[in-house]
Amino acid sequence: MIGETLRARIDAEIARFPVKRGGLLGALHIVQEGQGCVSLAASKELAAIFDVFPVEVIELVRFYNFFHESPRGRHQVYVCTNLPCALRGANVLLKGLEQHLGVGVGETTADGRVHLGREECLGACANAPMIRVGGVYHEDLDLAGACAVLDALE
Amino acid sequence: MTERVRIRVDDVEYEVDAGRTVLQALDDCGALFPERDGKRPEQTDALIPHYCWHPKLSIDGSCRLCQVEVRAGADAPPKLAIACNTPVSEGLVVDTKSETVAAARQGVMELLLINHPLDCPICDQAGECKLQDYAYTHGVDHARTREPRRKAKKRVDLGPTIVFDQERCILCRRCVRFCREVTGTGELGVFDRGDRSVLETFPDEPLDNAYSMNVADICPVGALTTKDFRFKMRVWFLEDVDGICTGCSRGCNVHIGVAKNAVQRYLPRRNDAVNGTWMCDDGRLSYHEIAREDRLTTCLVREQAIGEDSPQLRPASLDEAVAAVAARLRPLLDAKGPGVIAGIASAHASNEDLRAFKTFLDVLDVDTIGLAVARGDSDDLLVEAEKGANGAGARAVGFGALAPVADRIRGGGIEALIVLGHDLFADGSLDARALAGLDTVVAFDTHRSPVERVAHVVFPVRHAAEKDASYTNSAGIVQPVQRAVVPGPEVRDEGDFLQRIGAALGLAGFETETETEAESKAGDGAE
Amino acid sequence: MQKVPFTTGYLTAHCGDDAYGTLDGYKAEGGYETARRVLKKGTPEDLIETLKASGLQGRGGASFIAGQKWSFMPGAEDDTGPRYLVCNADESEPGSFKDRLLLERAPHLLLEGILLAAFAIRAEKTFLYVRGEYGEAIRVLTRAIEEARAGKVLGPRALGSRFAHDVVLVRGAGAYICGEETGLLESLEGKKGQPRKKPPYPAENGVFGRPTTVNNVETLCHVPHIVEKGADWFRGIGTAESPGNTLFGVSGHVVRPGLYELPLGTPLDEIVFEHAGGVAGGRKLKAVIPGGLSMAVLPAGQVDVPMANEFLRERQTALGTGGIIVMDDTTCMVRVACIITHFFREESCGQCTQCREGTGWMNRIVSRIERGEGRFEDLALLKDVCAKMEGKTICAFADAAAWPVQGLLRHFPQDFQSHVTHGQCPYPGSFVLA
Repeated sequence: MIGETLRARIDAEIARFPVKRGGLLGALHIVQEGQGCVSLAASKELAAIFDVFPVEVIELVRFYNFFHESPRGRHQVYVCTNLPCALRGANVLLKGLEQHLGVGVGETTADGRVHLGREECLGACANAPMIRVGGVYHEDLDLAGACAVLDALE
Repeated sequence: MTERVRIRVDDVEYEVDAGRTVLQALDDCGALFPERDGKRPEQTDALIPHYCWHPKLSIDGSCRLCQVEVRAGADAPPKLAIACNTPVSEGLVVDTKSETVAAARQGVMELLLINHPLDCPICDQAGECKLQDYAYTHGVDHARTREPRRKAKKRVDLGPTIVFDQERCILCRRCVRFCREVTGTGELGVFDRGDRSVLETFPDEPLDNAYSMNVADICPVGALTTKDFRFKMRVWFLEDVDGICTGCSRGCNVHIGVAKNAVQRYLPRRNDAVNGTWMCDDGRLSYHEIAREDRLTTCLVREQAIGEDSPQLRPASLDEAVAAVAARLRPLLDAKGPGVIAGIASAHASNEDLRAFKTFLDVLDVDTIGLAVARGDSDDLLVEAEKGANGAGARAVGFGALAPVADRIRGGGIEALIVLGHDLFADGSLDARALAGLDTVVAFDTHRSPVERVAHVVFPVRHAAEKDASYTNSAGIVQPVQRAVVPGPEVRDEGDFLQRIGAALGLAGFETETETEAESKAGDGAE
Repeated sequence: MQKVPFTTGYLTAHCGDDAYGTLDGYKAEGGYETARRVLKKGTPEDLIETLKASGLQGRGGASFIAGQKWSFMPGAEDDTGPRYLVCNADESEPGSFKDRLLLERAPHLLLEGILLAAFAIRAEKTFLYVRGEYGEAIRVLTRAIEEARAGKVLGPRALGSRFAHDVVLVRGAGAYICGEETGLLESLEGKKGQPRKKPPYPAENGVFGRPTTVNNVETLCHVPHIVEKGADWFRGIGTAESPGNTLFGVSGHVVRPGLYELPLGTPLDEIVFEHAGGVAGGRKLKAVIPGGLSMAVLPAGQVDVPMANEFLRERQTALGTGGIIVMDDTTCMVRVACIITHFFREESCGQCTQCREGTGWMNRIVSRIERGEGRFEDLALLKDVCAKMEGKTICAFADAAAWPVQGLLRHFPQDFQSHVTHGQCPYPGSFVLA
């Protein structure tokens, strides 16, 4: 259920656009941040709020990397592996993190603490390799530094 | 009036409406699908091949097969552009045959096929597959892929009517647009992106709407097929005959697919004045009634008065049935005159049969006449409330409201009734009890129906798919149909039976014809 | 906060200064004075003329003349409803990180550029679409917009003028294709970011059905400087065809990766060897991608080229977003091709046949070669797939997917051939793939 608090934020988001549907991407962010994912049930509720077909909401969830239908770990850690980072050892770092966490790419640690993923270029090419933890960048990393960042996560 | 502009496509000049795109304009003037050898337009190569574009859907522009070279004028440099989205303009020159165009098409075809399962031998679309057709005419003759083809869902049960093969889908999104723009039900979407893109419904929800089977028609490949026709037969064994759907007064035009003297399917036949390119699922499936078990195949007569324990109607020969009618009506006419006879027409009868019925009644001098018609649900798209293809035709011939007839019957002023079709009780103004006291009820029907409970003689008549005839839809458009299948030997047109009855009654202008003459007359009717 | 080292010019002069990110700090450097003057006393027509005269090329990758783009918008006579400015801050081109610096360190410079551009095209609102991953930029911009509203920089009387304007910050959600301007418009409308077929063009029917201009972050950041100092001043920098400074992002195997604000036309070898300190670890240069992942690579022997489109064109590549990716002599170009084709396969929106299928096919072919399962005819096949994609789709994404592969095949066929011949990678020391 999209509760009152989230609904109020969604309404505020809608108010920023001349057309209601403009607020849909923002609403997906709001739901995902509030509920950890955009569930099928939430998609249906959003469809009703925005007067769109439910399948259109799923289309967005599956199109944009940010959204997922079931919860991932408490912390979502993404390693940039595009060329500038790869040239500077990003994939070595990624393999090291897989070992350190005991999970593969796209998996979440058993305790639900960390989800490990890889991403395309994150715009930190001069500070490669790097990882993104939620909305925070950690740049100029080596494996030890990256592990320290992950270990410090709750 | 819309401004007109002249465009040149290859060596042919067309004058078209401004504001249209090249594909739309060619479609407007009937040049997009040159009909060949009596085939359906869908079965012939389009002048400009295309997948995602459809005349009744919004422009998508994504399949890229309709690329042509366009020039703003004869001297302008050519530009590769999609015909579906290129606006026409005065002096626009379109080249559909250049090497650049051929290469671009070939590119699209090769790329569409790299992930296609190439399972044509077991694909139900084979024979009417645009992927097959255009691969043959515009594609490459060998595969250069060494990579495994994409694996995806097979035989997905999408809902009550459609089965989906995700591997065959070319993502033209016609079906997606159909469900959003035409039915407004929006069941389908394309999930994910890049070469992981897949057509899906909302998880665990079906494709289920009153027009769902149209997605199989507009699917250019074998991805969406109907459960009804799936694996029934190879389409090249089908003969297409022009007909109409008789489910309601819209009179949607259909291609009747025939094999082994049986109707195998209805497909909507494009008629922009009637049904566009669509038809409803109920109408499409209504062909099953043609060979249904309850079809009447012989004349039926009842010898005793109708009562609680009256014997069933028994099969009778044509001559016997005609004689039975004459034996009942002649004394009545002689004793009481035509004033005690009523005639009720049906929206299921053809214009030709309705005219024959009216002539018969006129010669008898019967003036208590009306039209019995069933009413049901309607929608904003095609389905109309009047269930029957020819209510307008019946009214045009002179059959009006049923109420005055019903009043006279209930008032006891009628002793004989001649009735076409099976909608006699549909509006509730008459029921079996109201008719129980009649001396004579003569019925003409395609199927067994409650009417036979009160009928003394029943004549088996032809379905619209079994005759050359015409029907007038609710907009007043007279639509010819061709005989698609031949019914049993004792099943005839209403007009044919009435001719014989008239002769037996000794009416002026009615003579008994031989069977051959009647057949040939029916054949002439279409001309 | 971005730790990227950078050298400065007029655009980034104050980017090292934390206060510059605040309204007061920006004003202290003379910020918003140009916009205040123009909004009060200038005309949209003059502004567009100035921009046209300056010859400013868009800095989002396509290098389209910015003033010309503005002039496509309907004039004052069209009063049918609102028109919009969209700021494309969806920087996602691999090798590009210049807009991020401006977003995080010069938010008010961007807002001033937005005000001027909006005034020129008579837009009542700007949608500032920031890539979702840029968390810091979103925080900084959110604060800057709030400050600007509170300080009456934005609002019904922007900077005390009669021009009303507001900026709506919109967060992307992870899709490279939303950097394509019509993909971005779709995304703004709450749809999948699938680029639109043209016509119609954004200037007639853009976001929410209204006339719209889409400008890149760096492009807009140039505007206050050009308007303040004049078109002639701007023309005095860079080359005749490509005036002004730009931010070159240098990454990969160099001693000093970073952002370098330099005039267009600065030689690529000067940027790599002098500004960025040359190839790291004392190794030799093998190749440079001059303008972000979408642009064709140049081999070491061809890096003596001025970084402007009129010169890069002769070497069958382009400036793109100015993201310079440097590769040393350990680098396996087949692996580079794997990364490039994987990226475009991952990010294709999937609507056009050639792009959807072509990006995937190229990636599978290249990966097969990398695994040692290639055939010699695969090189010709790859070129042919590129030809089938290039120039034939709704947007330029398919071109961007084809060009770098064409470049690698043009300049480094031996790397591919060697994989085929030996069935393995000839560069034991090369960077590794995932």
